[in-house]
Amino acid sequence: MSRRLLVAVAVAGAAVTTAAGALVLFAHGFQPYGPAEKMAQVVTGAVWITTGLIAWQRRPSNRVGPLMTAVGFANLAHLLYWDAALPFTIGELISWWSIPLTVHLFLAFPSGRVSTRIERAFVAFLYAATVVLSFQSQLFWDPRGTDCPQCPRNLLLVNTDPGVWSVQSTTGDLVIVAILVTSVVLVVRRVRNSSGPTRRAMAPVLVTAAIAAILLGVVVVLDAAGTQTQGSAALWVSDVAYAAIPIAFLVGLLRTRLARSAVADLVVELGSLPPPGQLRDAIARCLGDPSLELLFWLPDSERYVDGAGNARDPEQAPGRAVTVLEHDDKRLAALVHDAALLDEPELLQGVGAAASLALENARLQAELRAQLAEVRASRARIVQAGDAERRRLERDLHDGAQQRLLGIRLALQLARGQIGDERAFTELLAEADREVVDALEELRALARGIHPAILTDEGLAPALDALARRASVPVAVTVCRGRHPAPVEAAAYFVAAEALANVAKHAHASRVAIELSRANGDVVIAVADDGIGGADTGGAGLRGLRDRVEALDGRLQVDSPPDGGTRVTAALPCA
Amino acid sequence: MPRTVLIVDDHARFRGLARRLLEAAGYTVVGEAGDGESALSAVCELRPQLVLLDIVLPDTDGFAVAERLAGHCAAPVVVLTSSREAADFGGRLVSSPARGFIHKDDLSSAALAAVAGEP
Repeated sequence: MSRRLLVAVAVAGAAVTTAAGALVLFAHGFQPYGPAEKMAQVVTGAVWITTGLIAWQRRPSNRVGPLMTAVGFANLAHLLYWDAALPFTIGELISWWSIPLTVHLFLAFPSGRVSTRIERAFVAFLYAATVVLSFQSQLFWDPRGTDCPQCPRNLLLVNTDPGVWSVQSTTGDLVIVAILVTSVVLVVRRVRNSSGPTRRAMAPVLVTAAIAAILLGVVVVLDAAGTQTQGSAALWVSDVAYAAIPIAFLVGLLRTRLARSAVADLVVELGSLPPPGQLRDAIARCLGDPSLELLFWLPDSERYVDGAGNARDPEQAPGRAVTVLEHDDKRLAALVHDAALLDEPELLQGVGAAASLALENARLQAELRAQLAEVRASRARIVQAGDAERRRLERDLHDGAQQRLLGIRLALQLARGQIGDERAFTELLAEADREVVDALEELRALARGIHPAILTDEGLAPALDALARRASVPVAVTVCRGRHPAPVEAAAYFVAAEALANVAKHAHASRVAIELSRANGDVVIAVADDGIGGADTGGAGLRGLRDRVEALDGRLQVDSPPDGGTRVTAALPCA
Repeated sequence: MPRTVLIVDDHARFRGLARRLLEAAGYTVVGEAGDGESALSAVCELRPQLVLLDIVLPDTDGFAVAERLAGHCAAPVVVLTSSREAADFGGRLVSSPARGFIHKDDLSSAALAAVAGEP
């Protein structure tokens, strides 16, 4: 801040020096302009620079101040038009820069940042075009040979052919007209797309600029009609209006400061804790941003939700910004608001402080809603999972044991017709026997999938051993012995079973480790493989496991970095 | 009386046993198909007089295959079969152009002859 202040003072000094120098030059007499015009230019430049410095000092991190100051200096460049070739040439080059700087200022106001890609591209184009146009014009413009016989020599002149200059000059004029039209279109588009704070800040600027533009238009028309406008009232009023633009910028920029008293209103309004929806409205009114979004932070699940408890991601859209509100170093909420409000960090934090109690209250309500929504979703998923499981059982029975039994019946029918042929008869009986063996194995596997008997009879550790023996890859099992409540044992078993099924289907692993331990009153089951990782954590299998684990107030964690193996851990409270 | 048969079922072991059962009873099993699409092309190619058609197929169901076979070049006699009960299929069995339905539990050459006629 103090360094910036120093810079501001230094720039102010430079401005004063320039103005003083200009006055000295004034005494010598300028070549192309009359004294009154020169005076108007000095005043206008000084107003731009002074207001720019005030803006710079009041909003040190905002580019609006420096831009306004720069526009002022570009305007003062005309003061270098005196009867010496070097300052005249330099003044001509610098005077071009008032166009891109002014357009940049309009597009960046009030936040100081050009927010959309198209506007950024246009501003970049403008600066590039200015470099080209200023030098191109200097190379071909011979002021003494064309429109200003009393002007000093142009030091950069390389070609004195008036024909070439005429083409250059016309092209340059067309480019400038195109730039001005595009600028107006972009500014109008910006105003239309912007919300409360931006519009509020831009209003005085737009009104003043519109008046200045109309007056300038009148002067141009009068000129074109042959009326002498030198020193006329219209020209003077137009100059005054132009000098008023930076004042309007400053007013617009500082206007948001008035909003600070709104924080006091907010404190009163929040005296009786409002429901979350009204809290958002109260903050939106206080900040003057009707499009404001209020999102609450849920520390347990580390995500934002809206007032209704729906998960939301605070997104950085063009012209929007996110401010995180904290209280006692604890994150409470995030405001998604108009980027113009970033100029008022104290206002935003003031709102956060004034509303902290209401925010905490609303945050808890939102958390409750989010939990309710999650419970509802989980309940629906459990019902769906139950239905899916029934369908799977029906299909397994139909495709498995039932087909085997049908096969046995057909084989027996065939055998009956072969009683005379002992060899064929024996073969058919052997075939029927094989079907019986297969049917028994399929029924066993099915029963184990429904609920493994070994888990009920002998407990989790032997059941995990049995699971490991049947796995498709070598599994090392480390367990702490002892029995736990049946739901905990079942949940831990199915976590291991699902994880092993996923290893067989997706992981391309060469070995797996199952670890069962106790920690802080939890039974913790972890299944880790050395496979390819990158598991789909949103899949039906893992979601079903999560529901099963969370139904017991447990936590399921899946770590599966690409090429880093997969580790599924469930912690199940077990008092 | 139909003598040549195409067996359509997605279980290969069932197809094998059914083939032997029907051949033992004097039918000529001209081919087997594991799903609806291959059943349709097999009918066109092999021109069986009778199709023993499982209702539950992996790509479509036996009713849809029967519908398409009814307007087919060689329109064979279709007998539907399933390990599910006839009642499980509601009115679809009645409205199907198939000649009849045999529960897989009851499948025998005699049952087939009773529905489709003697071989």
